[in-house]
Amino acid sequence: MLKKVILIFFAVAILGLIFDAGSLFALELKHHQVYELDRGMSIEDIMQVVYFNQYTKFASDYQSTGYVYLIEGSGAQRSRTFSRQRIILGRSKDDIDYKDVTKFTGPTSVKGLGILSWTYMEYGRDPDQWLWLPSLKKVRKISASQGDDSFLGSDFTTEEITTRKFEDETYKLLREEKFNGYTSNFNGNDYYDGADCYVVEARPKRDPWYYSKRIVWIDKATGGDIYQEIFDSTGRMHKTIFKNYKMMKVNGKDYATQTLLEVKDLRTGHSTVIEMKDIKFDQGLQEADFSERILRRSKW
Amino acid sequence: MIRVCKKLTLVSGFCVDQNGEMYKKKGAKKEVVMRERKLLLALIATLLFIGLGATSSFAYEEQDRGIVHKFWKMLLPFDDRLELGGFIKNETSVRLAHGLDEFMKMNNVIGLKTNYKITDWLEFFTYYRWFWDAVYTIEDDRYRGVSHEDVNRKLRMPEKTQWLRECYFDIYTDKLDIRAGKQQVVWGTADGVRILDLVNPLDYREWTLKEYVETRIPLWMFNIEGELLADGHLQLLLIPDYQPNYYAPAGAPFTLRTVDIGAQGTANALARGVSVQTIDQKPGKQFKNTKVGVRWQNVLGGWDYTLNYLHTYDFASSAYTAFIIRPRAAPLLRLVRRSEQIDVFGLSFSKTLTEGFLSDLLKGWTLRGEFAYTKGGAMNYGYDETIQGTVDVDQYNYCLGFDRNFWTNWLFSYQFIQFIVDEKEDFPQFYSNVAGIQTQTENTLLFGPTRGGLDDITTMMTLKLSTDFMHERLKPEVLVLYGFDNDWRISPKCTYEINDQWSVAGGLHIFEGDSQGLNGQFDKNDQLFVETTYNW
Repeated sequence: MLKKVILIFFAVAILGLIFDAGSLFALELKHHQVYELDRGMSIEDIMQVVYFNQYTKFASDYQSTGYVYLIEGSGAQRSRTFSRQRIILGRSKDDIDYKDVTKFTGPTSVKGLGILSWTYMEYGRDPDQWLWLPSLKKVRKISASQGDDSFLGSDFTTEEITTRKFEDETYKLLREEKFNGYTSNFNGNDYYDGADCYVVEARPKRDPWYYSKRIVWIDKATGGDIYQEIFDSTGRMHKTIFKNYKMMKVNGKDYATQTLLEVKDLRTGHSTVIEMKDIKFDQGLQEADFSERILRRSKW
Repeated sequence: MIRVCKKLTLVSGFCVDQNGEMYKKKGAKKEVVMRERKLLLALIATLLFIGLGATSSFAYEEQDRGIVHKFWKMLLPFDDRLELGGFIKNETSVRLAHGLDEFMKMNNVIGLKTNYKITDWLEFFTYYRWFWDAVYTIEDDRYRGVSHEDVNRKLRMPEKTQWLRECYFDIYTDKLDIRAGKQQVVWGTADGVRILDLVNPLDYREWTLKEYVETRIPLWMFNIEGELLADGHLQLLLIPDYQPNYYAPAGAPFTLRTVDIGAQGTANALARGVSVQTIDQKPGKQFKNTKVGVRWQNVLGGWDYTLNYLHTYDFASSAYTAFIIRPRAAPLLRLVRRSEQIDVFGLSFSKTLTEGFLSDLLKGWTLRGEFAYTKGGAMNYGYDETIQGTVDVDQYNYCLGFDRNFWTNWLFSYQFIQFIVDEKEDFPQFYSNVAGIQTQTENTLLFGPTRGGLDDITTMMTLKLSTDFMHERLKPEVLVLYGFDNDWRISPKCTYEINDQWSVAGGLHIFEGDSQGLNGQFDKNDQLFVETTYNW
């Protein structure tokens, strides 16, 4: 009887290892350290570094000013501006990965709106979010947005900007190639012409979902996902995303950070541009700067 | 002498003379002078603090915000430490019952907000708001009170220092924030229902159709918030200011039923040759009348909670009446407006289920609630609109809310609310003797806004559904309020953002129910509204 129990135990353990192989062989990335893409990395390792960089987990804190332009197919344009601060904690005691405060500074119709967000490390756990609404003059706990909901009314989804995690997709390396370059419709500049890239196919584990796969070009130099083609459930490409990464020297370390994001909806002709300016890292922000008290300082 | 104690609600600051005309009390001239002084002081203070920082070096990020903003920036040659913003808005509504040919509102509002960053830790904020509701000119025949020129003045345009919505200094330190000046403070987690949200009084001129942020009456106060734990904050409010709730006078579109009944009673008394005298007994401007609020707020295991205490005066200030028989003079109906001191003990909580149970069951729901025990209040009792007297009551009120996003971007928000009244003393029953037959009429507590009978427990529910289309350009929503006495309000609304400056909104307010109900009293006030806003 005891032998059977031991056998079953080992069988279950081995099955568990097989099904959890992704995490077994995943990198153990430590917060506040810089990781670069190395030649010997698996595609899973590469994608982990890409996500690590996207959420600036290499830094202690991050702040920037964002300019969002919502552009109709006709050229008509609306805008949003916001300031964002983030403190990266990676704290296992309460599972907190990082905390964000985003405050809208324009236009006047949304000025004063603030969002405090605590993101957790545990996979599958939604972030805790608090909202300061000028029209309520109080802080409200809110349910996390659905992943396929629009981010700030843009062509990005919430998942694409804030909530997608490495574990949400499966990955396949398609090839390595030089990128053809991207010309921004917003400022006319050419980016990444001839840059060495990994080309990766990422498929969502969730099915059905708002996309069936995305093809991602990853710049070997910055470790950033510079270009994506996104395909809908019928297999038709419906959206492209471009991201410009800039290397910043901070306290002797090289930080890769996003400075320009462009997304085009190929079905509607609508596009969104987000420019990140005044980017600063490791300014000594305190965790107390990420509490409800900070949201209540809003006046508008 | 017969002395009858009754509770009525009348318009503050006005008396009714023997001819039934309302006139402003003595001291009106002094009020005008005070108003002009305050206006001048506020302008000087604003200019002084703007001028102080003309050599500043740090700036706010600002983008193109239209021609009006450019004009103001050109007009005020100050550096970028000054933030300016504002809006111009038209609010028009028509009554559905009269074939859309009767305006209920044609309100034009101008708002101006300024924030001046004196140093990194000191800021000065002001919010000015002026309005002019043209409906009292256009529909002059319809909306008139006993003396409509005076009574409707406050409905037509701001009065006293109403135009100064907010005016305060902010002092920020690592552990302590101080906000000193005229402001509004909101407690609680409930939407559109005031359980713990009792720090500021409310302007009910348009009932509760507007957002509370526009209708709360700001008060002068000290608001001090300190950080004692990482997410634990203690807030202390010291409020030397007092203002009662404001109710629309008789004859206005949203006059409460109790106000109408009171005005009719006064008119009847005057018609019978009875003199009427009004005495305001507001809390004096003394230190001992300072209202005090304390709130402890913390996050524990993902649960946000607050513990609240508020020592205040009831904003629903009302009048105790005395009927005095005088020798060699007409009888006198004396109306004494008084605010009761109350103590509010409360708590609130909110929690988002970020993990869910049993394979994501309930994941994504936000649960929230608040509870308030109010000690020391008073309510009228009587029957059939007639007030027989006043009795002390305690109240236990609570609200539970459930929110979740569905189908990408559909927000579902439901609230269950109960108001529980606990009379602290028995009140007598009423006996009448008609043709030698004595009959007993059962007195009940009276519902303040309508003078209808009040149950010991009043239950309400609200449901709000909202979403957006066209990249958050088009935002439809519907709000449903339901009381268990089949009392309804349904308010669908749709907002369209034309560009960064312009937006339009349109919708309906449909009231349904008995005339003694919270919403049913406005059963004939179903309206279609349109709002156009230019932000800069």
